[in-house]
Amino acid sequence: MAVAAADLLLQSVTDPSGWVIHTLNGLFRGFILFMIASGLTIIFGVLGILNLAHGEFYALGALLFVSLASYLTGLVVAPTDPASLLLFGVLVLVAILVAAAVLIPVSAVIETVLVRKIYDRDEVYQLLLTFGLLLVLIDLMKISWGPGTHRPDAVGGESLNQVVDVIPMEEWFGFSYSSYAIFSIFAGAVVFLALLWFFDRTKTGRIVRATAINREMATAIGVSSDRVFTLVFAMGGFFAGLAGAIHSGSAIAASADMGGDALVLSFVVIVVGGLGSIRGAFVGAILVGVLSRWMTWQQPALELAAPFALMVVVLLVRPEGLYGTWGEIE
Amino acid sequence: MSEFLEVRNNSVLVEGFQVTDGIDLTVREGEAVALVGRNGAGKTSTFRGIMGLAELAEGSVRFEGEELTELRPELIPVRGIGYQPEGRDLFTGMTVEENFRLPIWTSGKARGVTDEDAMVESIFDLFEELDHRRDTEVQNLSGGQGKMCAIGRAMALDPDLLILDEPLEGLAPIVVENLKEYIREIIDRGISVLIAESNASHVPEIVDRMYVIERGSIVDSGDPEVLIEDPEIQELMQGGGAG
Repeated sequence: MAVAAADLLLQSVTDPSGWVIHTLNGLFRGFILFMIASGLTIIFGVLGILNLAHGEFYALGALLFVSLASYLTGLVVAPTDPASLLLFGVLVLVAILVAAAVLIPVSAVIETVLVRKIYDRDEVYQLLLTFGLLLVLIDLMKISWGPGTHRPDAVGGESLNQVVDVIPMEEWFGFSYSSYAIFSIFAGAVVFLALLWFFDRTKTGRIVRATAINREMATAIGVSSDRVFTLVFAMGGFFAGLAGAIHSGSAIAASADMGGDALVLSFVVIVVGGLGSIRGAFVGAILVGVLSRWMTWQQPALELAAPFALMVVVLLVRPEGLYGTWGEIE
Repeated sequence: MSEFLEVRNNSVLVEGFQVTDGIDLTVREGEAVALVGRNGAGKTSTFRGIMGLAELAEGSVRFEGEELTELRPELIPVRGIGYQPEGRDLFTGMTVEENFRLPIWTSGKARGVTDEDAMVESIFDLFEELDHRRDTEVQNLSGGQGKMCAIGRAMALDPDLLILDEPLEGLAPIVVENLKEYIREIIDRGISVLIAESNASHVPEIVDRMYVIERGSIVDSGDPEVLIEDPEIQELMQGGGAG
């Protein structure tokens, strides 16, 4: 163990790019997880529901993106100059946003038609309903896209993330790294700041927080909890879809059953961060993302175990999570 | 004075159990009325029934001629009833001013509160003690300030009727006197008040009429000065104390 640690230390001094690359990989994974977990945590914070079908919103966003990106980028020729590359990038961005936006009405309808009926029921009913929904959504996606894995169509012989590889990382920093992943990390940071701004500064965000804090009192000041619940569920769906769309633009293939792992890791993230806490989801996601990618690099056998070990430690030391609000958005 | 809140034959359910039995109660325009009873007598349940927050087994609640039991509960504050719950139930993590503004953000337009800032300032004018704490998060307020904040929030939609559930409970005597003064000022502004109290001695200084509730039923009503001298009422309230 001591020898392995010494080797690692030596390696970090002689070749720091390994640390940087795997930390960036961890940040990329962390921000994807944050986007999924943020929706899961606000839905729990406001509605009091652990939505087991949340991972399927992520999968649906990923598959929608594959179809949309393939269609839109197929309308243009392979980029050869900065202008055509910019157009290509805009089309990819449009595909990401449209794929995520489709999740808004989808999740709003699911909340209104199904989830709303069981708010006052025992948690077991909530888990059964959302688990059933998970299975139905997986099968619907398999019927629509097929059971295998899917990637956006190659453009000029290159994958989508290779086409948008525009940051000269090798030249600037001495190691190569995907520009798409850098953009994704930036997008994740923007989502985090936007969520903080929404809940801290906007009227609607503070009304949602008030509903999370005290649903009944919110009603007594005129808040329609039905509308707030639909809004929150749709927001959660949007961010999960956004995560799926962004993720499937990278080297990750989309599939109908990709939501399971994402859901489990998102649970780890929100338990580590504190159920209902946006800041907690952010810190938890970054910790889980970076830790798992470091493990993939140094101890691949521990990649899956490491996030759960972290969760166990947090539960033992601080059972309410790092930012423990347990049911209030913060 | 015309009657504008009429509670008729109300029986409130809590978790499927009936906790009040055929409550009849009225408040006239501009009037201050108390509902006095021991802890567990049914005061809070009666108020929650009026606000649509508790299920009714039977009965009606009419306000300015409109049947409230047919409305969604979030529309009741828009109709002009402000509510301060027993436990304050402030929105923690938010400032005093945010707690005042929230009702206006949700329903101000529907209620006709067009000047948000003027409304908020009018509440701070009343509760001067909160003015220098407007940016304080509400969980850091003292007990009395918290009650003031909860009453102020209930006033943010310019209510015609204010329902106050035990606003004086658990406060130091000097704070109780201050709050009584504030409530009298609210009444002087022309707002009708329905107030729950477990300590009957506070009531005559504030209200015009009082009801006595015991085990979920109204057992007496009338002039508070007369009722609190009634040996039967005194016996009923004994053991209630602050309860």
